[in-house]
Amino acid sequence: MYGSLDISTSALVAQRTRLNIVAANVANARNILNAQGEYDPYRRRFAVFGSGDPAGGSALGVHVAEIRLDEGPLRPVLEPGSPYADEDGYVYYPNVDPVIEQMNAMEAARAYEANISALEATKSMFSVALQIIA
Amino acid sequence: MIGGVTSTEGLATLERLVQFAGQRHRLIVNNIANFDTPGYRPTDVSVKDFQKQLGDAIDERRRGGRPAGPLDLKDSFQVEFSTHSLVLHPTPIGENILFHDGNDRDLERTMQDLVENFLTFRLASQLLRNRFDLLNTAIAERV
Repeated sequence: MYGSLDISTSALVAQRTRLNIVAANVANARNILNAQGEYDPYRRRFAVFGSGDPAGGSALGVHVAEIRLDEGPLRPVLEPGSPYADEDGYVYYPNVDPVIEQMNAMEAARAYEANISALEATKSMFSVALQIIA
Repeated sequence: MIGGVTSTEGLATLERLVQFAGQRHRLIVNNIANFDTPGYRPTDVSVKDFQKQLGDAIDERRRGGRPAGPLDLKDSFQVEFSTHSLVLHPTPIGENILFHDGNDRDLERTMQDLVENFLTFRLASQLLRNRFDLLNTAIAERV
C-alpha cells in the first residue's frame, strides 16, 4: 500500500508538468522571436506520458517521457509593414490554438483531481489499517 | 462459547481479504495514474476468482472437520499465495473501446473499483478489529 502513494504522486507530478506546458504555450501564443531576438516563431509544445516511474525505479506509476514540438503549420497573418513579413507580406505566428490549450488544461486538472481522490482513498486505508491495532 | 472466541475462525479469511484489497488498491491507483498515457492498457485481477478461491478454501476446511485454522489456498494464474502474503499478477482488462492514443481507459469504472475496493478493505479491517476486541475482552475478564 505504501507504493500506492508513490504511484499517485508520480501522476500528480506528470499532470502538473503538462499544465506547465499549457501555460507556456498560452504565454507564448504570439511570440515570434526566440531568446536571441531572431525571427523564429514559437512552436506549440506537448507532453507525452509513459507508464512506469524511472525516478522512483518502479514499473508502476507514470512519467513525462518527452516534451515534443508540434510540427504543424504556423498561422500566417497579413502584416506587410512588419520587418518579419515574407515576400507576400505574411508574418508567421505560433501554431498555438487557445481552444486546444484550454481543453488540455481542463483534462490535466481533472486527471489531477482523479489522482487526488486515489490519494485520499489510500490515506483512508492507512488510517483504517491503523485502527486494527489501536 | 470460549472455543469460538479463541479459535478465531474468521481471522484467516479476513487477513487474506485485507491483503488482497491492499494489493489490488495499488493496481487501481496505477490505472488512475495512467489515464493519459498513450498505449497504456489498464490491468486488474478478477475479484470473482479470488472470492471463489477463498470460498473453496473455506469449504475445504469445513470438510476437513476443522471450523478454524489456516486456509489452504490454491494459487490461480492471477493470485499467488504464500504463508503470510499474496502476490497479484494482473492482466489487461481491455473491455472498453480504444481511444485515439491507444489507451482504453474507463474513468467511471476505475473510480468505482477504487471505492468498492476501499469499502472491502474497510469492512475486512473493521471485522478484524472486532475479532481482536473480542479476544481483548476475553483476556481482560479473566485476568
